[in-house]
Amino acid sequence: MSRTIAEQLALVKQEQRLGFMTHVVIGHPSLEETRQRVEIMAAAGVDIIELQIPFSDPLADGPAIAQANHQAVANGVIIEDCFVLAKELSNTVDIPLQFIGYYNTVLNYGIEKFMADCVAAGIAGLTFPDMPIDEEQYEQFYYHAQQAGLPVVQLVSPATAPERLQLIAEHATDLVYCVARFGVTGATDELNTQLGEYLDRVRQYVTLPLAVGFGISTPQHIQALHGKADMAVIGSALLNVPINKLANTLQPLCAALSVPPTNTIQ
Amino acid sequence: MKIPKTLFFKTQFDADKQGHFGEFGGRYVPEMLIPALDELNAAYEEAKHDSVFIQQVLDLYKHYIGRPSALYFAERLTAKLGGAKIYLKNEGLNHTGAHKINHCVGQALLAQRMNKKRLIAETGAGQHGVATATVAAKFGFACTVHMGEVDMERQAPNVQLMKQLGAEVIPVKEGNRTLKDAVTSAIQDWMGDPEDAYYLLGSALGPHPYPTMVRDFQSIIGMEIAEQLQEREGVGVLPNYLVACVGGGSNAIGMFNAFLDVPEVQLIGVEAGGTDIYTPGQHATRLASTPQLGVVEGYKSYFLQDEHGNVEATHSISAGLDYAGIGPQHAYLHSVGRVRYESASDNEALNAVKTTSHLEGIIPALESAHAIAYVMRLAPTLVPDEIVVVNVSGRGDKDQHILKQYL
Ligand SMILES: Cc1ncc(COP(=O)(O)O)c(C=O)c1O
Repeated sequence: MSRTIAEQLALVKQEQRLGFMTHVVIGHPSLEETRQRVEIMAAAGVDIIELQIPFSDPLADGPAIAQANHQAVANGVIIEDCFVLAKELSNTVDIPLQFIGYYNTVLNYGIEKFMADCVAAGIAGLTFPDMPIDEEQYEQFYYHAQQAGLPVVQLVSPATAPERLQLIAEHATDLVYCVARFGVTGATDELNTQLGEYLDRVRQYVTLPLAVGFGISTPQHIQALHGKADMAVIGSALLNVPINKLANTLQPLCAALSVPPTNTIQ
Repeated sequence: MKIPKTLFFKTQFDADKQGHFGEFGGRYVPEMLIPALDELNAAYEEAKHDSVFIQQVLDLYKHYIGRPSALYFAERLTAKLGGAKIYLKNEGLNHTGAHKINHCVGQALLAQRMNKKRLIAETGAGQHGVATATVAAKFGFACTVHMGEVDMERQAPNVQLMKQLGAEVIPVKEGNRTLKDAVTSAIQDWMGDPEDAYYLLGSALGPHPYPTMVRDFQSIIGMEIAEQLQEREGVGVLPNYLVACVGGGSNAIGMFNAFLDVPEVQLIGVEAGGTDIYTPGQHATRLASTPQLGVVEGYKSYFLQDEHGNVEATHSISAGLDYAGIGPQHAYLHSVGRVRYESASDNEALNAVKTTSHLEGIIPALESAHAIAYVMRLAPTLVPDEIVVVNVSGRGDKDQHILKQYL
């Protein structure tokens, strides 16, 4: 049985390092390879893995992840496959696995059944970027997640206004995901230079641990998050790394999670 | 009977404060877009109550677009069909050749008020892209138009026009490479540049406030029809039927809005029947059999999708109707029964282009031809003192090289 997000975050804190979240698109390039990639990530020292339920129209995803979604959909990967894989993996890895996806999948599946099946599959949390808190009164997504005991990881962006940060803080559980820059998912060379300022602003309202993602791809990026964030998220940059190179690619990234002696917090 | 006389009127079918028309609409977008949508909504709410803004819109309607567009009695078409009296509301006479320019001038004025520097648009048929490129030139904005590769091919003349107007046209290679994919690409462009860019959405769909705002700028169509018909037919005369094609739904809602609260007027939206409305991928008829509720591209409505909620491919001979979703107010009007939705096939649309060209000397856009095609079925079932007004949302110049293959 894998740990909860809260348990994993407590562990990260105890080890006095940054946490590390990675991402896979279920069924890209195949269900079997997704399973292997998750196991490699878990063994390498990743703390949380986002399992993306493939969808035809992934609004917040840039070309790399969008193409992976389209490929998985074309391969015929459906939500039932995602539950089967999640159940299998939550028995074989210790770290929390969370679903990331788009709300239309849940709407079609049935919201209560979705939550129940997530719990049965050992899923530790949910991220649904197109289900903002404003629509809760119409959808009861957060309500049903809470009833099922599933944390919903909320997103904030550099443009999120103070009143909204407040609102999000009130509904957030376990972890808040700070989108590092404007735009969609995708690897970039440069990290947002105003990241520190932005995360300070978020911290005025949010007391939960902060994960930072979008555009993070290198050990240098991760190092730059020390003292600012609690967790680094890498998605696109790992997506198309061949499986036989994945462990080697993860190694320096995981090494960067501990505070390097030359870069102790000022 | 109460036909509104001023822009930005209310009806009983409006959205609530958060943009929900009954269970449809809303704002199902990633957090990254919320600040931009909040800013847009605030600017729009403020502008529509500002008499200076309203006057600017009306001036551009008149002096730039050339409104009012003609309401033309199609005498020979009427005689041939042998039933109701048929009027054509000829939006094809507008500057740039379609109704799209109506919401473009309104939104460009708003973008100017908001101090934006670049207009982003998606386009299917290219009419909205051309209209956006046009207002961008007029107001001095940079302009980026996202267009599916398939549509760039079939609406090549409009691609050329956009470039000539100074716009950058981005070919969208994702998915089906048509309108839906162009919408996603445009939204993503905006997500990356919310500060300087204004997303000038081209139909009455997407997240709140677009469905409401686009409708409001298009409502002039119906307001003019009410007035023009009385000039032609006598004070107090109402149309019996209003008929418009429905892609995302902008020309149709623009025609219907002023009449929504007038129950005597029957409203009919015509979707693209493609080659076969019973085979997924062969049509774009979202409301035909059992409409499927979904949340895609930031709004809740009916979408053509499979049983897992993945959006299906669509087909229509007209690029502007080749879209898997339908504006949320149309979904609502369908669910409450205020508007009836029908469909017309590719072949019927082609036949309607031919008939209207030959009998009236008016070449309608393939999109608009779907509405005419339905009227060709409807009119013979009616009596001569009934009046049908059909919205010719655009002219057919852009379709010549498609038509060449068939006619
Ligand atoms: C002439 C014309 N009519 C109709 C449409 C369909 O759009 P809507 O349903 O928003 O009016 C288009 C779209 O490109 C168009 O160009």
